Parts: sequence; structure tokens; C-alpha cells
Amino acid sequence: MMWIFNSVFGKIFDFIFFLFRNMNPWIGMILISVLTALLMLFVFRFTSNQEGIKRVKNKIKAHLLELRLFKDSMSLSFKAQGNILRYNLRYISYSTKPMLVMIIPLILILIQLNFWFGYEALTPGQETILKVKLEEGHNPLDIDVALEPSSGFDIQTPPLRIEEGREINWRLQAREKGVHDLTFIVNGQRLTKKVAVAQRPLSKISPLKVKRNFINELINPGESPFPADSPIKAIEVKYQAKNMNLFGWNIPWLLGIPPWLIVYFALSIILGFVLKGIFKVEI
Amino acid sequence: MNHIDRREFIKLGLAAGSLLTLGSPGLTTKAFGKRETPQKVLILGLDGMDPRLLQLWMKEGKLPYFQRLARQGDFLPLRTSIPPQSPVAWSNFATGTNPGGHAIFDFIHRDPERYFPVFSASETTGAKKTVRVGKLILPLSGGEVKNMRKGRAFWQILEDHDIPATVFKIPANYPPSSTKQRTISGMGTPDILGSYGIFNYYTTEAKELKEDIGGGRIHPVNVIANRVEAKLLGPVNAFKKDRPESAIEFKVFVDPVNPVAKISFQDNEFILKEGEWSSWKRIHFRMIPTQSVNGICVFYLKQVRPNFKLYISPINIDPGRAVLPISTPKGYSEELEKRFGPFFTKGLPADTKALDNDVLDDGEFLEQDDLVLRERLEMFDYELARFSSGLLFYYVSSTDQRQHMFWRFIDKEHPSYDPALAKKYGNTIENIYKEMDKLLAKAMEKVDKDTVLIVMSDHGFSPFRRSFNLNTWLKESGYHTLITPWKQGREDLFMNTNWSRTKAYSFGLNSLYINQKGREAEGAVNPGPEKEALVREIAYKLENFRDPKTGGRPVLRAFVAKDVYQGPYVEEAPDIIVGYNHGYRTSWAAPLGRISKEIVEDNTEKWSGDHCMAPEVIPGILLTNRKIKAKSPALYDLTPTILKIFGIEIPKEMVGKPIF
Repeated sequence: MMWIFNSVFGKIFDFIFFLFRNMNPWIGMILISVLTALLMLFVFRFTSNQEGIKRVKNKIKAHLLELRLFKDSMSLSFKAQGNILRYNLRYISYSTKPMLVMIIPLILILIQLNFWFGYEALTPGQETILKVKLEEGHNPLDIDVALEPSSGFDIQTPPLRIEEGREINWRLQAREKGVHDLTFIVNGQRLTKKVAVAQRPLSKISPLKVKRNFINELINPGESPFPADSPIKAIEVKYQAKNMNLFGWNIPWLLGIPPWLIVYFALSIILGFVLKGIFKVEI
Repeated sequence: MNHIDRREFIKLGLAAGSLLTLGSPGLTTKAFGKRETPQKVLILGLDGMDPRLLQLWMKEGKLPYFQRLARQGDFLPLRTSIPPQSPVAWSNFATGTNPGGHAIFDFIHRDPERYFPVFSASETTGAKKTVRVGKLILPLSGGEVKNMRKGRAFWQILEDHDIPATVFKIPANYPPSSTKQRTISGMGTPDILGSYGIFNYYTTEAKELKEDIGGGRIHPVNVIANRVEAKLLGPVNAFKKDRPESAIEFKVFVDPVNPVAKISFQDNEFILKEGEWSSWKRIHFRMIPTQSVNGICVFYLKQVRPNFKLYISPINIDPGRAVLPISTPKGYSEELEKRFGPFFTKGLPADTKALDNDVLDDGEFLEQDDLVLRERLEMFDYELARFSSGLLFYYVSSTDQRQHMFWRFIDKEHPSYDPALAKKYGNTIENIYKEMDKLLAKAMEKVDKDTVLIVMSDHGFSPFRRSFNLNTWLKESGYHTLITPWKQGREDLFMNTNWSRTKAYSFGLNSLYINQKGREAEGAVNPGPEKEALVREIAYKLENFRDPKTGGRPVLRAFVAKDVYQGPYVEEAPDIIVGYNHGYRTSWAAPLGRISKEIVEDNTEKWSGDHCMAPEVIPGILLTNRKIKAKSPALYDLTPTILKIFGIEIPKEMVGKPIF
């Protein structure tokens, strides 16, 4: 059920970015930021008390003016500050409803955008680590896991089994461009994981494939899940984080927030403010 | 005087690097070079290339491009510096003077106030003003790193005349001399610890470093539940009280059966098979929340079982985010990093100390030096392709490093000669000469009739079979007195020396100093006639000393500094420069002030070829595509030659003369 939802939701993003796959990722980012800004304005317009927001904003402005005009009167200044605080709280309460309405769709959007802007596809010749993570109670030394050779990859190392992390790792080297299926045989069961090599400038990359489970699938909707009875918890391919390069400057991570997310929020908010007048939305 | 061991000496030397992040000089990011010059000069600096070996393999037809160049123009031995150490020799070339003019006399100088060795080529100081907040020490000004070479380099003079130059990795140019020309520093560039290169080796095997050689740290580790946990030590944290060493933790997961391991630290995670080298890995040492020092290193998984053995190269300065000044303009190293990825920035990148300490074997050392060579060749193609005006100087270190380490396989008389290994590695030196022939081929394809091509080396090579303990000879000859004679050979840095009864001592590879009153802290010899007579007496006795085992003369020439140097810095020179004979060199113990028991010993180390001899024993090479008029050209003659080609007046402080 969850996978059907993920497939449909994912297809919407495939459709949105379809024409922009061969262009600079910034174009796709601006497009999705515009759409997000419009969505935010739409939600604000129809779920918030627009009259109330307008009224409290005017009240705040009036009390700010009062603060400047009567700065010599301590009692009036304190009173104005108290009113500013009061109307700010009321403003927040008016904004709460649209924010609550927005929060779930926004999380789903962010999960999808992470596939498009979060990772850099491998390039031919590049090495990466492939990790098979096992469920609790399974020992990597006891389980029979084989990785089948693929035309897209060289398997460069024998399996490295890490008991304490319940992991089996391999080092792979990308060989050919394209989206390749890595095939595993786990206790006789065939499982696959997609790996992207030298994709277009804007391409969808799913680093993690997980086992069937509502939360797992919600957070990692990139690929169809493993059967629930599989001893494998997840299969991960290590991709490098994607850089957002602005005129030669790579936007850095900020307190653990990836560059694309900083850009996405900044652009969406700026565009929201730019477009609010056109759509007559009070925010 | 406090007792300071070798490790502390290295720490003290340059480890203030972390502070420099706050005060690195504001170098321009624009590359210099506007003028199109009718004449161009392309110089290949092949460190240590020996004229006798070159001649031999040219005659055998193994080096066709060297042969062709010699036929087209000229091939002569090139007179080297006194002493023929790379920093001294390349400084002669850079400035057109001898050590009296550029003040680099040896790899190691000494502080006469403390009888303490100091690095000759550069000096690093931390922030002059700091403020202490609890356990933190916050700098109020930037630190400083200073190139100690005096005199003007030829690329600075070319800059005055608007002639573009690219100078790639010339030794003794750290930090790079102030210039707008494109330069990147070479030999003398420290690792991130501020040393000439400290490797780290993690092993379950009981192992110790050779005391005289050092150059690394051995970390005993345990494999528990197929996991190794260890720390990689970084630079001294000058932001903290007591200056502790910074460190990062890393984990290694080994497979219980397969010879493979995963190494994990910070945001790095990679798998190596036994006997594999990693690519460059970036490391960040956090000093304080807002300041970290970036470095790069390579890992080598030597063995997984029965003993775990992991080698980590010295941590090089990251050329993409250099914490110390390594290029001019600053953006040049970043440009190279962007194009080629991280690359070796440490002065002499091949880890000879790891080979000498049996941490890497011959094959592993060669694999590492191949990494260095491949980087150099790729960058040469890049620089050669864009060389269209002015001067390009390109330096290669592998010629020098491989001759140092593999001479024992071409010299049957060497104490470390091993016929089985000679069979395997006997062609190593020949092969690097052939590689240089290929490099020359590319250069010759590029040069046109207006380009002067010069192929040169700073010195040649000679076997290093027997080591001469100069300080022991001084002691046995009555010029050096110990406090406790039975402790002889046990302490470095003259900790056992009775200075009031000592007339002479040696620091460095070729330098001998008189313990002069008014100059040294506890001088015992009066300047003037007394010192003059003593200098001549010691020089005479040194040249006449005979090796008790072979009957040979270990010292061919003992040069009196004021006889052979000219320029404003002659007074700073050692009093005698010892020129060793073919087959001899200073011992491993003497340069840092240890007095061994024997005067002359066999050199059983892998470091088996050397050039710290008398200059006539190991001339360099000079090949050009023009006829050379000079009969016996010297390194310092090439500098005025370059200026003459571009029509620039030769400064009067240069002692050399143009060769064409």
C-alpha cells in the first residue's frame, strides 16, 4: 500500500523534473522552489485567518510606531512592547494552522527532493561501498549472501563481514554509465538494488533500499521494499553528497543541513514573499 | 640546558602551523605573466641525476632523447655547491650566488646560544600576542612562516621585467618567495605536523623505530572482535594550554577470514584489500569550534593477519585548503587540486624513513614513489601544454629518492648489497632515468627554435658505504670533551658535552663549528689567530685521516668557509665544510649531535646512495639545446644565463657567469 503511494508520489516528481534532467540542477531547484512557494501561498490563503493576520500585523506596526513616538515615556513604551508581544503571539497562532497543514506534505516533498538533489551519481572508475545490513538475530558469518557480477560494476573486494554492525560490505568500482541492478542471492532468494552511474545533471538517486515496514518505506521511498520476512534490513550504496555550486562557490553544509536544503528553503521563502502580492495572500 | 629529544625537536621546530590559519598572508590569486617573450626557457630540474650513469646509459642507447639533446646542443658535468646538499645547491641556482650570498649552508643549522639544531630553510613562529581564556589561548595576531633563503630568486627578477615564470616545486622555496609568479613549494615544505614527514604505523607486532633514523611513530594496537581502534595524531593545538597534540579517532573493521578491512573516520569510509593503497583521504583536526586544520594522507593496508599492519603516510598539507603557504598565488595550489585532485605537497614525498625502518619494503616504497611520479608527470603535461611565454621550471624528486634508496642494488661493495634483491630491484635507478628520458621527449616535442631547453641536476650520486662520525673524530682527536665518558653514544644533542673544554663540534650533514668565545654560549676558543690556526689544523687533520678498515681517506676536502664563500652571510657559515670522499658520508648519529663509539662504521641502512660529499665527487648534469661556451659550468652560472637570455642585466651580487 505504502509502495503504491510512494510510486505515485515519486512519479509526480519524475514528471516535474522530466524536462529539466539535462539542465543545470539550479533550474530544477528554482522550479520546485516556485511550486513550493505557490503551494505555501495556496495553503496560507485557504487555511489561515487572512483578515486576522492583516489585523494583527497592522496592530504590531501601530505599536512599533507608538514605541518610537513615545520613547520618552517609560510606561507607554512598556505598554507598547507588551502589545507587540501579545499580537506577535496572536500572529503565531494564526499561522499555526497553515503550518500544521503544510508540515506533512512538506516532509514528503523533502524526502523526494533528497533523491534529486542530495546525491551525486557515481562516475565510471569511481569506487564506492555497498553495504548489506542484516536484521537483528542474523550473523553475517552465518548467512549465505552472494553478489552477482554485473556489467556496470567490478566487485573489487571479497565480502567484508562486520559482526558487531551486522553488515556485509563490498567495494565496487563503477564501470558503465546507466542505472544498474545489483543482484544478491540471500539464502536462495534473489534481491536487487539500483545503482546510478554518470546520470544526467539532475537525476534521481536512491542510496538505500529497505525492508517492508511503514516508517522505513515512508522515509526511503526510492525503491520497492524487500519482503517483510527477508533477513536483510537494508542495502545501501554510498554516494557522495551533491554540491550546490553558485558561480564557482560550493555552498557549504550549515549545522548539518545539506546545501540543497538551505537553497530550497531560502528560495521558497524568498519566492513566497515575492509572489504573495500577486496572489493577494497575507503572510 | 633542558634535555630535548628528537621528537620534541621536531615538535618545537615548526609545529605552530595551526596558528597560521588565522594569519596566512594575503596572497593575490591572480597569476602573473603578461609579456610575450621572443625567447623562452624551459628547465627540467632532475634532482640528483648523475653524469656518469647518464653517460653510461646514453652510450648503451637506453636514453635516446638525452642522446639526441646532447648531440643537438651540449652535455657537461655541472659543478655543484659546497656542500652538495639539495637546499644549498638549489639555492645557488635560484639566486646565482653561493651560500655566502643566500645563507643556506646545510639542511640543519644551529643556534650557538643553545647548541641546538634548527632547520635551515624556514622558520615558523606562532602568534606574538595571545590572550588566555580558561584553557584556551586565542591569538590576537597571525603566526609567521619565513623562508630563510636570502638573496633574490631569478623568477623575482623576471617579474621585475614583466616576464612570466612558472616554477614548479623547486627545493628550498618554502614558503614561496614573495612573488606574483606561479610557484609551488617543493623540498622543505613540511607535513601538517610541521616536520619533514612523520608516518604512522599501527601494528600488533612488537616493533620499534631505528633511533638514528626516526621519521615515524609506531602505535601498538590490538585486534579485538575483528576491530582495531586507534588515534591519528595531528598538529599541536596552539589554541590550548600546554599545546596538546590534536588527534582523530579511527576504526578498522577486519573480516574474520578474508584479507580485507574497512577503515572509518570522520566522514570517510573505505575498504582496502591486503597490500593495497588508498586514494587520498581528507582529515580535519578540530582545534577550537571555529578553527580546524585540514590535511591529506594515504593509507596502506600492509597485512591483516597474522599481524595487523597499517601504514598511514605523513599528513600532507591539503593543496585545496592549504593551512600553510605553499604556492603563489595562493590559488595556484587550489587550481592544481581542482584539476588533479589532492596531491603530495610535502617536500620530499616518498617515505624513505618508512623504508629504512622496514615499515615499507622495497616494492611498497616503489609503489608509493610511483604515485608521486604519476602525479608529477600528469602535472608536467598540464604545465607544458600551457607554456607559451617566459620560463617554465619543472622539478622531479624521484630521481634523487630512488638513488638514495636503491644504490645498494647496483653496488656490489655496499654493506647492504643483497644479490637476490638486486636481481629484483637492480634496474630501479636505470628505470627512473628511462622515465626521465620520456619526460624529456615531451619537452623536446614542445620546444621551438626560440626556446632554450636546459636539463640539469643539482648534484650527482655516489655510494654511501661507510659512515664517518665527525663528532667522534673530534672527540678522539682531543677537540671535543665529554662530561661522562662512559655515556658516550647514548645521548643526542651534545647532552654529554663539557663545553668549557670543547673546541669544535658538528651539527648538520657537512658543517663543523668552532666553539668560539663570544659567539657560542660557552665558547672556549678565542676569535682571531687562535681560531684561525685551529680551523686550519682541524681541516688538515681531517683530510689526512685514514679509515682504519679500508685505508681510504673519508674526508677528501675540508673547506674553510671564508676561503670558498662570498657575500654578506659568510660570517653565519659553519667554520669548516666537510667534503666526504667517494663511498663516505657523515654518520646517522652525528648530524643531531650524538657521539658514537666508532669513528668510521659500515652503513648498513637502505639509504645507500648519497651526495653529501665533496663537490668534485658528485657533479650534476647539464644538457642544453645550445652550445655551451663555459668550460666548467656551475649551478650558479645558470641564473645569470637565464637573465641574459631575456636581456636582463645581471645583478652584481651574482657570482656566476652566463654559460652561452
